[in-house]
Amino acid sequence: MDNELFDLKETGMTDEEMFSFVDHSVLESEKITAPRYSYWRSVFRVFFRNKFNLIILSVLAIVLILTYVYPAFVDYDPYANLMDSAAKHLTPSAAFAKFGRSIHWILGSGASGQPTFDAVWFGARISLSLALVCAAINMTIGVLIGAVWGFSKKIDLFMQEVLNIIGNIPYTLLIAVLVLVLSPSFWTMVFALTITGWLFIAYFFRTQVIIIRDREYNLASRCLGTPITRIATKNILPFMTSLIVTQIAIEIPSYISYEVFLAYIGMGISDMSLGRLIGAAQSAMLTPGWGFEFWSPVIVSAIVTIVLYVAGQNLGDASDPRTHM
Amino acid sequence: MTKYLIKRVVRGIISIFIVVLIVMAMVYSMIDRNQVFAQDPMFLKVSNNQKTVYKYRKWQEFGYIDYITFADYMQKQFEEGKVDDETRKKAVSIGRKPEKDSDVTAQYVAEFEAYCAANGYTTQRLNAVMATPKKVASGGNPQLFGYRDRPLWLRLWTYVKNLITIDNIHSVTDDVGERGIQFTTRDPLEGGKFSPAIIGNGTMHKYLLYCDNKFPFIHQNLVFLNLGKSYTINPGVEITTTMSKSQGSYVTREITYPTGFTELSADDLHSAVYQSGSLEGNVINKDRFVDNYTSVLTVKSNPSRMGYSFIIGIIATCLAYLVGIPLGVLLALKKDKLVDKIGTAYIVFIMAVPSLSYILIFKAIGNGLGLPTTFEMESKSKLMWVLPIVSLALPAIGGLMRWLRRYMIDQMNSDYVKFARSGGLSEGEIFSKHILKNAAIPIIHGIPGAVLGALVGAFITERVYVVPGIGGLLINAIGAYDNAVIVGVTLFYAAISVLSMILGDLLMSLVDPRISFTSKAR
Repeated sequence: MDNELFDLKETGMTDEEMFSFVDHSVLESEKITAPRYSYWRSVFRVFFRNKFNLIILSVLAIVLILTYVYPAFVDYDPYANLMDSAAKHLTPSAAFAKFGRSIHWILGSGASGQPTFDAVWFGARISLSLALVCAAINMTIGVLIGAVWGFSKKIDLFMQEVLNIIGNIPYTLLIAVLVLVLSPSFWTMVFALTITGWLFIAYFFRTQVIIIRDREYNLASRCLGTPITRIATKNILPFMTSLIVTQIAIEIPSYISYEVFLAYIGMGISDMSLGRLIGAAQSAMLTPGWGFEFWSPVIVSAIVTIVLYVAGQNLGDASDPRTHM
Repeated sequence: MTKYLIKRVVRGIISIFIVVLIVMAMVYSMIDRNQVFAQDPMFLKVSNNQKTVYKYRKWQEFGYIDYITFADYMQKQFEEGKVDDETRKKAVSIGRKPEKDSDVTAQYVAEFEAYCAANGYTTQRLNAVMATPKKVASGGNPQLFGYRDRPLWLRLWTYVKNLITIDNIHSVTDDVGERGIQFTTRDPLEGGKFSPAIIGNGTMHKYLLYCDNKFPFIHQNLVFLNLGKSYTINPGVEITTTMSKSQGSYVTREITYPTGFTELSADDLHSAVYQSGSLEGNVINKDRFVDNYTSVLTVKSNPSRMGYSFIIGIIATCLAYLVGIPLGVLLALKKDKLVDKIGTAYIVFIMAVPSLSYILIFKAIGNGLGLPTTFEMESKSKLMWVLPIVSLALPAIGGLMRWLRRYMIDQMNSDYVKFARSGGLSEGEIFSKHILKNAAIPIIHGIPGAVLGALVGAFITERVYVVPGIGGLLINAIGAYDNAVIVGVTLFYAAISVLSMILGDLLMSLVDPRISFTSKAR
């Protein structure tokens, strides 16, 4: 029967029996069908397409486990061996000989006989927590204010002057004064790093908002009567997502960096963070045999920041819709 | 354009003063004022009432309060001719307790208290502290003084008022004979050679303007930037002097003093400053000088703090631009090739890793290569400059590479490049004539900032390599609670930052004629 023509009349049915009209829906005819597109699914598809990102993510997972899970299961007392002069400044092999083979001693021991491995990860937990909290606060305030700043010309003039003034107050001085007035605790440091830190992020996003604000599609949207709030949330915010992710990737390492710097000049927090470990072990840098206690926090700070930075940058790239083709 | 520039400069100056005001408010009111004595050895030595008085006197010096003692008040009364010397002497010896004052004293104490109340001072009387019923304890003498807090606006006003001092012939209050300035083409200190100089009498400095064979060849003592005096980190010395005075060992050479006396000395006679009454009764000065301009600076062999920072900073900046720009261009040309990947890895390293960590890594590598890791002022070795300069240049190179690569890649996708290509231009021409020129504009904007930034110094690098530079000044001042230095250095930093922004914009509009800051041209 295939490909053979036959006369419909042979079936002996009327046209009404054979055919019926399809319902014509005005609403349906307005619909435009497009392939299913989920933004976040595409982000992760692009992100995982690059196999290098898998490596980075697994290193990130190891780092996070060591900083947050490991300390929860270890009983670490930095001054447990304080009175034992034979326990100080040991190389890994000497520490193994003295304390037996365990994970605590694979990086040797420090100036007060504490296991360097534990000290480094307890320090990393403080530094990383500080960076995460500061980044969360600064990014939230910065993005929100930056959006408003970019939209209003009046606010722009005012905020420019504020930036000129606050930007010229030495950051170190501000932090030093706050640390002196309050106490050198974790939350003081968070307060000191966020009190003006959001301003620079807001300025960055202000510039980005200004760039997109006057694009043709937004102009068209405004002409059609879309309220500003919807333009901000539906037209501009999606464009900002990749910028926000990229910015977070820059911010988190920069707070770790700043914490290290402040600890080095003696204005850091009182807990044994990565920065204080580096500052305290500085004299061990060129002393033969003491290298581990100095280089461990330096290298760990480098690994933590690099992994976070690269993961964030690549996620930022993947969250740019132009890469989703 | 000129109008725009003037507006920018005025706004910049206003914002600098607001910054100074905020910083003053922070350091004077937020930090506990007892902290200033934390590292003061004198404070531990004095005791009892002496300690209290010492505290108030120092606070006055530090600019916290106005302070007047009863003795000062009586002295003033005497100078104004209201009391004679006899009465003054009688009145100032106050009793151990208020009840024990003599009648004369009691009368003037009451007057003093009334004066203080009228001027907003709070009076405080400290009774004698007795060791035995007859003997006063050490530092336990009775004291009477008044004090008032100095308001913030007054502090700012005095600071701004004294910021720029211009030397004039009425600067010296003593009787110095005929006041005036004279111009000479043959500076007596230059051995009668042709060397123009302006010499003043009655001015603070003897030589207001002079020439010699040292950079920048023409020197002046006429206008002086007065940032304030240091209290703890370099006691009693002007901040500008702390920043710009040469360091190291003395340079002695044969010099002829105004009297004709010759001697091997490090004195710099051009820096002579008037010091009241220093000629009479001082044999050493009498042999050498003919007038009271005897206070001279000495010549030392090495650059100043600012000099060291600037030399290191400026070489590092030049190096960074010389290396960073070609590398950035290379990365953009070879996008996604191996070179680009290596370069990007380096940029990530510089961006992410704490600066302290990578400088220490550079130091360790340098140590491994046999380079000196500490800076010694008296050493003649050129090698010790290598590590600080390289440690400053490497991060700057990373930053330049990052931005230039990104700008160039952005430009590569733009329409005018496609048009140029379709018009038949070669890739080389497109790159050098179109893309690089456009991509370099934002980079050029940063040049003034990089050059002026070298004056500020680099804290971590200088500390790691023990460079005697200026980078640590602010942080040391914060650590030593030296309020004057904090305020002075902040003013300096703010001025540099405002100036480099303006110069950057100006340079950018010179390079790119499309950029204009006046609304008319737009």
